[in-house]
Amino acid sequence: MRISYDVIVVGGGHAGAEAAAASARLGASTVLITPDLTRIAQMSCNPAIGGVAKGTVAREVDALGGVMGQATDASSIHFRMLNRSKGPAVWGPRSQCDRALYPIAARRILDGLENLDLFQEMVTGLHFHGRVRGVETRGGVTFEGGVVVVTAGTFLRGRIHVGGAAAVGAGRAGEGPSIALAEALEARGLEVRRFKTGTPPRIDGRSVDFERCERQDGEEEPFRFSYYAREPFLEQRACWITWSGAALKDIVTRNLNRSALYGGEISGQGPRYCPSIEDKVMRFPDAPRHQVFLEPEGLDTTELYVNGLSTSLPADVQVDFLRSIPGLEEAKMTKPGYAIEYDYFPPAQLHHTLEVKALPGLYFAGQINGTTGYEEAAGQGLVAGVNAALAVQARPPFVVERDQGYIGVLIDDLVTKGVDEPYRLFTSRAEFRLLLRQDNAPGRLGTLARSIGLLTAEQERALEERLREESRAMAWFRDHAIPPSAANSVLEAAATPPIERPVRARELVRRPGVTARALLATAEDAPVFSQDVLATVEIDTKYEGYVRRERDRAEKLRAQAEFEIPADAPFDEFATLSHEARQKLSRLRPANLAQASRIPGVSPADLQNLVMEVRKRSWVGRAEASG
Amino acid sequence: MEGPRSLVDTIVARATPPGVGAVALIRLSGPRAAEIAGALMGGGGDAMAGWAPRQGRLRQLHDPRRGEALDRALVTLFPGPASYTGEDVVEISTHGGHAIPATVVEACVALGARPASPGEFTQRAYLNGKLDLTQAEAVADLVAARAPKARTVALHQLERGLGGRIAELRGQVIGLSALLVQHIDFPDEDEAPVPLGRIAAEAADVAGQIDRLLATAPAGELLREGAVTVLAGRPNSGKSSMFNALVGMERAIVTEEPGTTRDAIEAVISIDGFPFRLVDTAGLRSGAGRVERMGIEVAHRYLEGADLVLYCHEAGGAMGGRDAEFVESLACSVVVVRTKWDLAARGEVTGGGEVAVSVKTGEGLGRLREVLRDLVFRDVVESREEVPVVTRRRQAGLLREAAVEIKAFGEALATGIPAEVASAHLKSAESALEEILGVIAPDEVLDRVFREFCIGK
Repeated sequence: MRISYDVIVVGGGHAGAEAAAASARLGASTVLITPDLTRIAQMSCNPAIGGVAKGTVAREVDALGGVMGQATDASSIHFRMLNRSKGPAVWGPRSQCDRALYPIAARRILDGLENLDLFQEMVTGLHFHGRVRGVETRGGVTFEGGVVVVTAGTFLRGRIHVGGAAAVGAGRAGEGPSIALAEALEARGLEVRRFKTGTPPRIDGRSVDFERCERQDGEEEPFRFSYYAREPFLEQRACWITWSGAALKDIVTRNLNRSALYGGEISGQGPRYCPSIEDKVMRFPDAPRHQVFLEPEGLDTTELYVNGLSTSLPADVQVDFLRSIPGLEEAKMTKPGYAIEYDYFPPAQLHHTLEVKALPGLYFAGQINGTTGYEEAAGQGLVAGVNAALAVQARPPFVVERDQGYIGVLIDDLVTKGVDEPYRLFTSRAEFRLLLRQDNAPGRLGTLARSIGLLTAEQERALEERLREESRAMAWFRDHAIPPSAANSVLEAAATPPIERPVRARELVRRPGVTARALLATAEDAPVFSQDVLATVEIDTKYEGYVRRERDRAEKLRAQAEFEIPADAPFDEFATLSHEARQKLSRLRPANLAQASRIPGVSPADLQNLVMEVRKRSWVGRAEASG
Repeated sequence: MEGPRSLVDTIVARATPPGVGAVALIRLSGPRAAEIAGALMGGGGDAMAGWAPRQGRLRQLHDPRRGEALDRALVTLFPGPASYTGEDVVEISTHGGHAIPATVVEACVALGARPASPGEFTQRAYLNGKLDLTQAEAVADLVAARAPKARTVALHQLERGLGGRIAELRGQVIGLSALLVQHIDFPDEDEAPVPLGRIAAEAADVAGQIDRLLATAPAGELLREGAVTVLAGRPNSGKSSMFNALVGMERAIVTEEPGTTRDAIEAVISIDGFPFRLVDTAGLRSGAGRVERMGIEVAHRYLEGADLVLYCHEAGGAMGGRDAEFVESLACSVVVVRTKWDLAARGEVTGGGEVAVSVKTGEGLGRLREVLRDLVFRDVVESREEVPVVTRRRQAGLLREAAVEIKAFGEALATGIPAEVASAHLKSAESALEEILGVIAPDEVLDRVFREFCIGK
């Protein structure tokens, strides 16, 4: 049987869901194929969305019309704004989600989209006709016609290790691995490498003595990730904090030889920011204790996710060390932690559109590209889905720049630098941190999405409403003078000098410690503005000089990006460049000077010489004439 | 490594200066270096195969075109990348003089080598990652060093003194960023954030270190260029004699230069190893400048660029109003020299800070030299030789930028700008330091965080 679609998305994780939804919203006929349609956008690891930088990505996906923000809102049972004590420029929204409700919400959103079909099957190979045209499945059904987005990362030749015991082939949390597809891709000459990661055990909350733990409640003020959709708020749950100490350290040290990670059974590189408890104990022997977060798995379950104790020790050792922790003395383990090894395709093999350079018509998104995290996967999925649909429609590609979004930073890092450990976003990866905030994604990306027709009619209306609110707020702060009688209590609270005449709110916001919200509250008939919009006004005003500085730097980068390097540039022959630069450039093949400038080992002198070399070659003229 | 390198040509040049000498050194660098040298020795392309690296062998050289013997020479192979340029290098020591080395170079060119342009060996060393930018600059300085002290500084820089110091400073700035990142990117971790006060104090310390390094810049530039020392004074105040006396005492190492201008004589002298560019403007009468009207001989253009003016005033009476007025008007340091002191009247004394000199008897010349040295190079004289010295405007400019950014970071924190906003200054400081070294380094901030903090909620 043969079925034809414009865009064929392989995999139903966070990348696949976003890719399929984005492609469908652009009007391309789209199919999403995954082995189990009840597990779309499943949270295979920690049941939480967001965090510092990651929370901003989740909201960027939303601003671009994606699934993640709304699905999070529909399943959030505990919300905190990380870094609340610091300036709003680095706030990171994070929701603990109900593991069961999230996929249901995601499925509901997908089901509401026109042009999108779902199909349950395991994809085993690619279908070629000049270029990649479709996929073949285990059951013999062939999908063909358009372009293919592969997001099956968590399944690719996965091997699970639970201490000493034999490794089991596995895909995402309990599903089978995808071996045939990995082999088909490798057979096409793509480079493959391996990463590893770990998960912690889960326990039954009824066996926990919460009296001995510290309670951590979510924030009282409700929060929505989505700028556009308005999901109802759910009942909230607490998290709990306890600490592992000397007893656990002793148990881990004694059993180290039974750890798959330390026993040499796992060879791949693991993420440094998510170390196993074995790593923590061995690498920081002087640390007296380590935090352990007990996070609720859902409203209808007593199961808890034991965050901070990722491990590959055998199940019996896990029970032992869990019971050495205050509050967990009687803990019942419901699921042991494990380490998993999997394939990824080094992402320097991709264009910025996430199309595979060597295999036109094929796009990769998510963990297959060496990233971790639902948010990172979703951001890539969305960009790959958009570009797949645009390619079918013969429209120009869609690229988020580094000054437009963390999604841009993520993809640019992946394709120009490659990865040497599972890649996760941090604010420090972005050079324009002040521009890329969780509050202002509609202005950065919503308008971009609207311009290519990526938003539904409802989303467009919500976006316009939000942008109007922003300009109303800006205008209020610019025009509204606050009299001393109203302002001085706010100023005093911020320990800044009182005023004697009415002063415009905009000027007062510039003072350290004075918030937009507090000033707004001084006005009797003040309009109502959302928390997001107030944050946008406050940061853009308070740190105007710094924001401008970043914009200027971004402009400079854009100018560099305009200097294009022809795709067939013979970097090997550029004798005025250093060996290292020639090697790195040949491997990573930057498309413009800005990309080249971010490659470690390419010096400013190399860049200057690169410009000269490109200019002096006659083929530049040809490239310009034909392009 | 074979790929990119094979596309570069092979260069040849005489490495020792032209002229008569016992030995001359000819250097070949590039993928065909061994092949070309092998052909000179009468062998095939693989004549040097199996040679032990860095061990000289005595070989008869022939011109392969005509077969005639050229010289008996010491040939040494330095296989890349463990060579000066990072490429295969062959060094050939022939007998000195003009003819033999020139013929050998010519033969190499005939065999396919290209005559190297000035500085090309060093450029290749830099491009191949054998030297950082400060080291490459040091090589240029070393070759051009005008005085022994300048050579010491250049040598130290070549040993990576300055580059190493700047890399160290960069490391400290990255450390500061890491402390901030730890507290921004990983808010829920075991370890509490480092107090901002401590970060601010450490930033101030780094800025102080950069300032101290920058303080060597004026002396460093003078060490490289020589301190421009202009002789001025009324006609017949003894300027030319003073010039000859100062130059004469260092005759052995003086390189007299005709000067880039026609209105002055310039000579580079070395005082205790420190270079001075001594400028005599005597004999200038034309022009209607204020200075000439006062009867004081000096060329304006030199005054503007002077690091030091030696104002000559002969014995037999203190300086008059006009002399004093002129001396006052100068922006640079001035040493008033009382010349012809052998003619001084009994009981005549010098004014404060003046140095009495008699060229005829030699009296006071030693003292004058000491005064000059200390006035210009005091910081270097007092510091130890191992201290890296900033020798170029490029380096100083970027260091200054780094210091300004780090101070701005501290000021921003003090005025209540949140650390995550103020940290933009640290990033700029880091870029400036990297530019001095000529590297775009990978982002090491996260590496530092993961090394020093136990991350992993």
